[in-house]
Amino acid sequence: MDNLYDHPSNISRRQFLKLLGVGGLSLGLGGIELLRRPGLSAAQQKQTVQLTFWASGTMTIEQYWQKLEQQEGIKVNFTDNGNDPGPVISKLIFGNAQQLYDVGGLQGGAEKELAVRGQLEPWDESKIPNYKTLWPWARDIPYIRYQGKLYGIPTVINADSVIYLPEKVGKVDTYAVVFDPKLKGKTAMEDAWINSAIFTAIYLKENNLQKIGNPGNLTKDELGAVMEFLIKKKKDGQFRTFWNGWEQGVQLVTSQEVWAMTGWEPIVYAARRAGVKADYAVPKEGYEGWSNDLLLFKGAGQRGRKDAAHRFANWELGGYYGNALGKLRGYMVPTDNNVTYAKAHPQEWPMQEQKDLADHVKSKFFSMKGAIYWQNVRPDNFQLYEEWWQKLRNA
Amino acid sequence: MVAEASQRVNPIRRGGVAASPAAAGLGGPGLYLALPTYVIVVVLAVAPLALLVFWSFWRYDPATYWIKPDLSFDAYQTIVSSGRLAVIIKTARIAVTTTALALVLAYPIAYFMHRLAGARLRMLLSLLFLVPFFTSYIVRTFAWRLILGRLGLVNTALQALGVIQRPVEWLLFDEFAVQVGLLASYLPFMIFPILLSMTRIEGSVLEASEDLGASAWQTLRHVVIPLTTPGIFAGSLFVFVMALGSSVEVQFLGGAAESMIAIMITDVMRVLNFPLAFAISTLVLALLILLLVIGNRYLGLSELFRSVSR
Repeated sequence: MDNLYDHPSNISRRQFLKLLGVGGLSLGLGGIELLRRPGLSAAQQKQTVQLTFWASGTMTIEQYWQKLEQQEGIKVNFTDNGNDPGPVISKLIFGNAQQLYDVGGLQGGAEKELAVRGQLEPWDESKIPNYKTLWPWARDIPYIRYQGKLYGIPTVINADSVIYLPEKVGKVDTYAVVFDPKLKGKTAMEDAWINSAIFTAIYLKENNLQKIGNPGNLTKDELGAVMEFLIKKKKDGQFRTFWNGWEQGVQLVTSQEVWAMTGWEPIVYAARRAGVKADYAVPKEGYEGWSNDLLLFKGAGQRGRKDAAHRFANWELGGYYGNALGKLRGYMVPTDNNVTYAKAHPQEWPMQEQKDLADHVKSKFFSMKGAIYWQNVRPDNFQLYEEWWQKLRNA
Repeated sequence: MVAEASQRVNPIRRGGVAASPAAAGLGGPGLYLALPTYVIVVVLAVAPLALLVFWSFWRYDPATYWIKPDLSFDAYQTIVSSGRLAVIIKTARIAVTTTALALVLAYPIAYFMHRLAGARLRMLLSLLFLVPFFTSYIVRTFAWRLILGRLGLVNTALQALGVIQRPVEWLLFDEFAVQVGLLASYLPFMIFPILLSMTRIEGSVLEASEDLGASAWQTLRHVVIPLTTPGIFAGSLFVFVMALGSSVEVQFLGGAAESMIAIMITDVMRVLNFPLAFAISTLVLALLILLLVIGNRYLGLSELFRSVSR
């Protein structure tokens, strides 16, 4: 390949055509781009690997991907997957996603299903030195492994609770506010069993109202009890509505249609920007933790991009990506490498901002009694979850 | 007498030229000419629907996360046991109500635009009904939250006028709001087909009715309405089918976790339970076919299409 760049005139026509064929094959299979790029080392100039990354739109770092190309010779081609597990899984199994994408990012929990269906390659931890730097509770998320193999790398974690209007309901430190009869018609939850079933289960478990093992992965009986509780609350007129998506969530709070609802922390900041005094509860029952996991699609292996994918995963945990994601989205890559990187590169990232973000996320996991219940997009009984959700809809 | 006159001049029922393939001479060369159309219909419409029905009898296997061939009624049983049938019935009810309300509102509007408004006013009204469609339907639906909410325009105005002391809660996040959203979304689809069918009525027909001594009401009832039946049917079909498949209005304006058929199918597809999704779709399909059969039986719809095809 060096010859092709440096001495094209010194080879025969047959050799040249042969090399063109090899180069074309490489382009097709390995995504090797034979283009010169400024700022790259000589070796990288010759082999920039393209990697297709299919993830939630919030996982892209836009112009900052250039750093990955400079440091690792990997050019990321990012596509938003909508972050809805059903369509993503569907496109992987029945669609052409495996032909198009090498790595993916998805809310945690679908690893087992995708592994069973042969859609994922396991990650080789030995090729991802930075994996060891992940915060322990991120490495211990149960659903990232299946049969002992690592299928999901938590590249973002956070924890959700209750958004509330303190001027209406006072200070809130419990999920009970959402189910409080005094706030009938003034509360809401998200229109998705993925979130609302676990929130309700956490509330019932931690207040000893129902015996529940893991709120994120309910048994058939536990699920029945949780959903019966929700159905009763719905029939009682407890909820003003259930919300769907960012804009609806923000509008419910800013219009003060709802005084307390389970939801995402950024909604609080959006409401404050709109002049509404809103707060985010630190619930005594603990938070609902969630992770967005990096997945290695089998298509990457078939195209010979597994090594590049591992280098990509390692880079995502190396600090630069975490700083960029924190700056752009306020999301936290669960490793101290972010702060370490910012300290070492003060000209690139303000260290204090990254430290504040890390401290804020850590505080969610440490400030209470340590209860973290991980949201799981595919609990064992997920078909039953959907069936119960339908009963709730009809109630 | 007026009715007899309308029967005599009704361009829809007049003539009686049959348009069926056989009657239209579609044997021999005619059949060959029609063959590509039949093939396209079978490949693009009939075959996918037949597969949909076929797969609805398969079974979801939780061990493999996949569906497997079977001749099972599990999916259909689930529809009944999990209350999904109630959603189908409720959606149909809402779609019928929307269609009826749209017809009641659209007909006088169309009549006014055709008979009473001048050309400029007619153009202005047409634009007024069309302009909202230049924006996203999501934005249009979302706007109703700002109008019907506790602090919305309606409640604020009613409170300012002293009509109410406290905001009316049921204006939003209730079936009322869903109905308003659906009507606002689909009303033009009723207005314009009716308006178009009115423009096809020849002035001489109306003059004949008047000459025969019919009052305005009698002319409307015995001449205009029968002659605009194709528009009424087309508009009703548009509105009904669109309301039946709607989801945004319920998600944005409905109460807690309210459902419609489209939302239910989306929920099921999210967990990849395809047999169940196909079974729900099969039932909806059966419902639509049933309505078309009833429509044909009592409204003579095939006659209408024949008149259009001539």
